[in-house]
Amino acid sequence: MATANCWRCLGRPSTQRLLAPSSLASFRAPTSVAAFTTSATLLAKDDNSFSMKGHIRSGKRLVLGKKKKGKTDRSKPPGPGERKAFRKRIQLSNDNALKVTGLPELEAQKLVDPAAVGQIVSLPSDLVDQLRTAEAFKPTQNWGLFRSPHMLVRKDTVDFLGDLTKRVGNKETVRTVIDGERSVGKSMLGLQTMAAGFMNKMVVINIPEAQDLVEARTDYSPIPRTTPEQFSHPTYILKLMQAIRSANEEILSKEIVKLEHIHLPVSVSRNSSLASLASATKEPEFAWPIFHALWQELLQPGRPPIMFTLDGLSHIMRISDYRSPSFNLIHSHDLALIRLFVEALGGKTYFPNGAAIVGVTTKGNSLKVKSMDKALEQAAADQAGLPIPERDAFYAKYDERVFEALKGVKVFDVKSISKLEARSLMEYWAASGVLRMRVDERTVSEKWTLAGNGVLGELERASLYVSRL
Amino acid sequence: MAFAVRSLRAGLRSCSRQPTVTRSIAPPRSIYARRTLSTTPARRADETKDRSPSEDSPVEKTAVQPNGPAADNAELRKSLKNDVVPNELQGLMAKHNPLKPSPSKSQRAAEARLLQTYEDQSDFTAEQKALFDDLEMEIDQLDAAISEATAVPKKMKKETFWGEDEEDPDMLVEDIDDEEPADDDIMSMAHGKLEEFREYREYARVAAWQMPLLSKLTRKFEPPTAEQCLRFRYTTYMGEEHPAASKVVVEFSPRDLPLNESQQLKLKKLLGARWNPETDIAKMSCEQFDHQAQNKRYLGDLVEKLVAQAKDKTDMFEDIPLDTRHHQIKVRPKFPKEWRLTEERMQKLEDVRQKSLLLDQAKEQGGQLVDGNERVDRFFAEPAMANLQIPERLNVKKSPRASR
Repeated sequence: MATANCWRCLGRPSTQRLLAPSSLASFRAPTSVAAFTTSATLLAKDDNSFSMKGHIRSGKRLVLGKKKKGKTDRSKPPGPGERKAFRKRIQLSNDNALKVTGLPELEAQKLVDPAAVGQIVSLPSDLVDQLRTAEAFKPTQNWGLFRSPHMLVRKDTVDFLGDLTKRVGNKETVRTVIDGERSVGKSMLGLQTMAAGFMNKMVVINIPEAQDLVEARTDYSPIPRTTPEQFSHPTYILKLMQAIRSANEEILSKEIVKLEHIHLPVSVSRNSSLASLASATKEPEFAWPIFHALWQELLQPGRPPIMFTLDGLSHIMRISDYRSPSFNLIHSHDLALIRLFVEALGGKTYFPNGAAIVGVTTKGNSLKVKSMDKALEQAAADQAGLPIPERDAFYAKYDERVFEALKGVKVFDVKSISKLEARSLMEYWAASGVLRMRVDERTVSEKWTLAGNGVLGELERASLYVSRL
Repeated sequence: MAFAVRSLRAGLRSCSRQPTVTRSIAPPRSIYARRTLSTTPARRADETKDRSPSEDSPVEKTAVQPNGPAADNAELRKSLKNDVVPNELQGLMAKHNPLKPSPSKSQRAAEARLLQTYEDQSDFTAEQKALFDDLEMEIDQLDAAISEATAVPKKMKKETFWGEDEEDPDMLVEDIDDEEPADDDIMSMAHGKLEEFREYREYARVAAWQMPLLSKLTRKFEPPTAEQCLRFRYTTYMGEEHPAASKVVVEFSPRDLPLNESQQLKLKKLLGARWNPETDIAKMSCEQFDHQAQNKRYLGDLVEKLVAQAKDKTDMFEDIPLDTRHHQIKVRPKFPKEWRLTEERMQKLEDVRQKSLLLDQAKEQGGQLVDGNERVDRFFAEPAMANLQIPERLNVKKSPRASR
């Protein structure tokens, strides 16, 4: 039943009308009064401007058929590759950080001296340049927080490098995989290994990211007259060769070419240095033959020992994303550069001058490769003299080539740092003005415990990331 | 006296109707001999055994009446003169339980005759006769009611869809009184609560008086011998019907069976997912037959077959690896023993803390203790130009100009 009264005002229109003076009622225009409505009457806008256009709505304006326009960003978008370059930039100094004085400079002896454990050492600028050329620094490491690059000589460093330098000095081939928990400092140990290599006059070849080689990011081309068919990365190898040349220029310029390289597309004279051989071409298509020639030269007796390191080992232990002309996926070990590394790591290549072949695993960005895990497990058990764990009998996808590549390698397990090491590291951070707290046993113990009993990356997260930009 | 005779006659008449099938909704419960405790359901003995001769005795007794009806008359008269209900009639009355039909036609006729003669000889007034008629009418009504109650129930009429015509025996319409509750009674919820307490107390009594008696039934544990390597499990649902009531489960360890190493391995491979590698126990169940005994027999045969197969040397399955994928071994982390705070460990920790305190003190005294805040503050407190070094090249360039 409809009421005669208005719902809102509860006033009776009939009585109001009756009470209203008849003269006023007669003035009203009859069209302006709605016969019956439940909506509240609205007053017209007070201003008498003529700006009102279109339909007037009380609430939000309804726009149909048009997409809402936000504020358009009129600034220029970053160019191609700029974002990645920013993400991957490596900043090795920061003028805002305080200068830390009184720390010793890194020497070859410091890396193998047990007395130096727990010391913070500064990297000499020449070494920094070499390491930078070899791409030993990683964008994930916090070099940009400090005034100049320093690093901690930890117990693992001394253990690993002491053994390595000694054996390489005896012209042995060290084949090691650096393994360990996530962010425990595996890549950092790889960097220290390279530093030791540079300082001990080894020819250091470094593949900083193995996944660059297998994820079909760079160009590749088949190498003619190879069975099974192999593939090279022309541009990547060219860049790598230039990096090798500039990082090891001092050594390579002293060595003279010994072999005949008649099949090379460029003429290499007998008396030219290896540095000139490395810089013989700027053509990507000639990169692989020349790199191969350089490798052959380095394997000649009487040359300096080779250090070949690779970070991200699990990436090369799988089938790559590249495809052969017959559109089959290429196994990573059929890519020539990786094959070179894998044969060296697996012990197939003979190094007369001694060599250190170091593969660094990665846990943050890595695939689960069961074959590699099992092979490393077996290698570790073999090293420890324990019964070798058998393969899972019901897993059919074991890759025999992976087991072949990791045959007889030593596995170095990077452990977390001790409280002593953590303290000296935190003192360095505090002296740099990054860690703004009193560094005593209490705070060190607190952070060390927070960091999973001294996992280095976690220690950085617990103490440094408050101020990271 | 005459009154008594008339009532007896009416009673007898009501009892002399055709025998009806006695209905019993619930079968009469036989009281079992109390058993101590058993998981097997109680079963009745065979019916033929149950039928005892004592039940039939009243019928037999009535059939063997010692004297004929004529012989009775003289005695009857004699007893009537004594104005007492004769013993025979009393016996008759006793025998004629109103719900039990009289045994035979001839006997009923004899009784009727007996009553008629008795009635003829007695001299009743009109008043008495009227009274008797009233009584007879009442008895007739009662008779009708009894016969209705004991009759075979009418079947539901098919014509009515909902069976509306049928009376609902379960519905208590008349008993529900809409009267207000009496003031002196507690409410029904309170009654319910009281009932609840009664129940509690009943179980408390059971727990206090009957449960301790269970200890008499305890038996000493005897570990299974080498021959008893199979462990069967049966399930009882306490007399309830259950689809899994006949299920039998057998557990055994391949180690306990008379097998050598390789045969055990083969048996494990044969057992597949039934073998638990963590506990080394195989578990099989059977419920495909109706009876537990059948299922148990099947399982026993199966184990024997498996053992025979494991001993079979033709194929020892050496090329097939032992599959344990069906079982995930759960690692339950336990509190490490080394972490327990023993006296020694407490002392050790205290020493470590003391040492670290001393280290801190020594460092502080030597001015080697690093404080990040303090370093930053000191850096900002230094005059701004103090660190500024004038490059030498600038000086070199300035000097010749100045000389000019």
